[in-house]
Amino acid sequence: MTSVRFVFPKPRLNELLRTPGGLPVAEAIEQARKNLESIRPTCTAELAALLELCEAGFQNLADDYDDATLAELYAIAVKGIGAGDVCGMPSVDLALTSFCDVLDHMRTLKRFDREAVGVHVRAWRLLMTAALPEAGARQVIDGLLKVSRRYAAEVAAAA
Amino acid sequence: MALDVASRARFNLERAVVLLLDETQLGMSILVQIVTGLGAKNLYRCTSLEAAQEIAAQHEIDLCIVDALEGGKGYDFVQWLRREASEPNCYVPVLITTAHTPTSDIVRARDCGGHFIIKKPIAPIVMLERIIWVAKAGRPFLFTGTYVGPDRRFRDEGPPDGVGRRREDLAKAEAAKAEAEPVAAQGGRDVEEPPERSAAS
Repeated sequence: MTSVRFVFPKPRLNELLRTPGGLPVAEAIEQARKNLESIRPTCTAELAALLELCEAGFQNLADDYDDATLAELYAIAVKGIGAGDVCGMPSVDLALTSFCDVLDHMRTLKRFDREAVGVHVRAWRLLMTAALPEAGARQVIDGLLKVSRRYAAEVAAAA
Repeated sequence: MALDVASRARFNLERAVVLLLDETQLGMSILVQIVTGLGAKNLYRCTSLEAAQEIAAQHEIDLCIVDALEGGKGYDFVQWLRREASEPNCYVPVLITTAHTPTSDIVRARDCGGHFIIKKPIAPIVMLERIIWVAKAGRPFLFTGTYVGPDRRFRDEGPPDGVGRRREDLAKAEAAKAEAEPVAAQGGRDVEEPPERSAAS
C-alpha cells in the first residue's frame, strides 16, 4: 500500500509580498515592459544569429532520417522562442513553436521530410523582415500550423 | 485569477530572494528584465543545474523560476529541490518556464514538483499573476513514493456537472432520461412500444 504524507508549508513569499512599500501592479508591468524594450536590439541580434545557425544546420541535413541534426535544429529553434515577442515580432515565436512541434513529431515518428523543415526555416527568415504586414505574417503562420498539425495527427494515430 | 494591468494594488518583491535558472543568455536576460521590472532585487542568476543546486543548498530562497533547460535538466533540478534540499527550500514556490515541451518530457514536466508551468513567450502580467498565486495558494505538499511536490488538485467539486464519472453511471443517466421523455424520444411512434434502452442498463 502506498503511504501518502501531507505537509502544509507557509511560504515566506506571501508575507514578503504584503510588506509595506513595493509597487502598484500597473507601474510594475510598465517597468517590466520598458526593461524588455531596452534589450530589444540585443534580442534581435541573437535571434538573427540563431536563424543563421539554423539555416546552416538545414543545409547540412542529409536526405534520409538524421536524428542528431534534427535534435540540433530543435535545440536552436527552442532557444529563440520568447525572443520574438520581445523583438516586436510575435509571429516568429509562433513559427518557432510550430517548427519545434514538427521536429519533435519527426523524431517521435523517426521520419524525415526535408520540405516540412525547409518551409519553417524560410518562414523564420521571412517573418524577421520588418516590412512584412500583419495579414501576411498570419497567412504564413496558418500555413506552418497546417504542416505541424498534419504531423501531430500522425503521431496521435501512431500512439 | 486574472490581474488587471491597470490595477493600483501594491505588492512587494524587494526583499524576496529569487533563484533564476536558465542556461541561455537570451532566456536569462528576458527573465531578469521581467522580474526586476516587477521589483525583485535579490536575484541569484544560475546558468547550470549544478550552480542552482549549490545556491539552493547554501541560501534560503523565496521563489524559484526555472527553465526546463536542454534535455529537461530543469525538471531534474526541481525534483532534486523537492527531494534533497533541506527545509524551507524544499517547499519553495517553483515556476517552470518552457519554450516547448517535447512529447518525451511531458510526464517529467508534470511530475517534477513545480507549482506552475509557464509557456514562453512570457508576458510580465502572466509572470506576476503566477507569482502572486503561488505565494497565496498555500497548497499542501504531498509526499508519495513517486511524487513529491504541491498538491496538483486545484479544487474538489465532485464529478463534473453532477454526473457520475463511471461508465455505468452515464448509462443509467441516459436510460433515466429516455424514460422521462418517452413521447419526445419516439417522435410519433406508438407510445405502447417500449423505448430503446442502452445495452448496459
